[in-house]
Amino acid sequence: MNNLWVPIILIILAPLLGGLVYGFERIIKARMQRRIGPPLLQPFYDFLKLADKRKMIVHSAHAFLGIMHFVSLWFALAVLLLGGDLILVIFLHLLSTALLILAAYSTRSIFSHLGANRTAISILAYEPVLIIIAVSIFMLTGSFDAAAAFQSEQPLLYKMPLAFIALLLVLPIKLKKSPFDVAEAHQELTGGVELEFSGIFYEAVYTAKWIDYVFCYALVYLFAGNNILLGTGLIVCTFFYLNALDNSTARVSYKQMLRFSLTVSFSLAFINLLLNSLT
Amino acid sequence: MKLASYRKKSPWILHYNAGGCNGCDIEILACLSPKYDIERFGMINTGNPKQSDILLVTGPVTKRNRERLVEIYAQMPEPKVVVACGACASTGGVFRGMYNCEGGIDQYIPVDVYVCGCGTRPEQIIDGVVQALAILETKTKELEESVRLNKEAIKENKQLNRRNIADEIKPVYT
Repeated sequence: MNNLWVPIILIILAPLLGGLVYGFERIIKARMQRRIGPPLLQPFYDFLKLADKRKMIVHSAHAFLGIMHFVSLWFALAVLLLGGDLILVIFLHLLSTALLILAAYSTRSIFSHLGANRTAISILAYEPVLIIIAVSIFMLTGSFDAAAAFQSEQPLLYKMPLAFIALLLVLPIKLKKSPFDVAEAHQELTGGVELEFSGIFYEAVYTAKWIDYVFCYALVYLFAGNNILLGTGLIVCTFFYLNALDNSTARVSYKQMLRFSLTVSFSLAFINLLLNSLT
Repeated sequence: MKLASYRKKSPWILHYNAGGCNGCDIEILACLSPKYDIERFGMINTGNPKQSDILLVTGPVTKRNRERLVEIYAQMPEPKVVVACGACASTGGVFRGMYNCEGGIDQYIPVDVYVCGCGTRPEQIIDGVVQALAILETKTKELEESVRLNKEAIKENKQLNRRNIADEIKPVYT
């Protein structure tokens, strides 16, 4: 019974946790640039402010798709934390991103279209790697369920370190961090897919970003098995790695991103899969 | 309302150059730098009018620019405030009276705070934006009252529209 309550509480508190992670990330970013930075609760101030703004929607389907993006992403996180099928989790995450892409294509803004194109390309970059990782987990545990990975006695990290490195290389694409932030690219696309949302509908997309953080850190935790200490260590290391990478690199073009991801990250994950199937 | 007090803590800024010399723009970007660090007030420089609260305008309004300026202003959701940065945006500055410019942005959109200087100092810009935050709060209260009590939000129109926006650009060399 005790095992069931932890994921349920995590799922309910996911936006709160993700907001704190985002706030902490902004402080870390400011400190790395020798600034003071915003307060820790800044994302929640933004949240309350956006709730208060006048709602300007492009058309109702656009706003609805934005909210459905948030709902389906939260659902994907719930399936992952409750130990559901990993392939299902990956495709639910794909669905939520696809809804956002549809929303972006439904407007007439050129920036929105460009952002949707680039988001679709970034899916092409990270999705195959995630699927290969899920297959490797299947090879080791004999099941696609995330619960099998969460309960395994020996952490998966020791058996598939190359897959973990591949995951670390695709996480910046997923979280839209530099050097792979072409999909968002605040200086050239001013947000890309989220451009046309405003008021409370932007809030759905903004909060979905926080849930994405929790989703990605849950994927990292998958590698620790039932070792909570190792899992926490992995999450903290990944957090500092992502921020260091984000603040120290410049944006690459989408072609470079795709080439890097499909040659380096994909081959790492694939070699790992081959080694797992041989032994 | 309690929500209104949080609005002051996260003003998102939209910055538009209405044909200025770029001097004030550099000073605005200097506000984001580690020395002045405007992000400690929770301000983000968004490039997106649909998600921003404060419009920072620099430069005199050139005749090519005025429709874009009004359009950007119209795309921002209420409540919103406008800060005119620099002498050009406030009065037209050295460009006042020239054939291709107008005298300041207040001919086209209502301005809440004027920041002087050519170019403005980053300290002045921060001071102007902080003053704009107080105006933003009163505007929010007015807006809420107007929704709750079902009355007119803007009581009086203090702005002078000296020119018609839709005026065509007339040739000057005859």
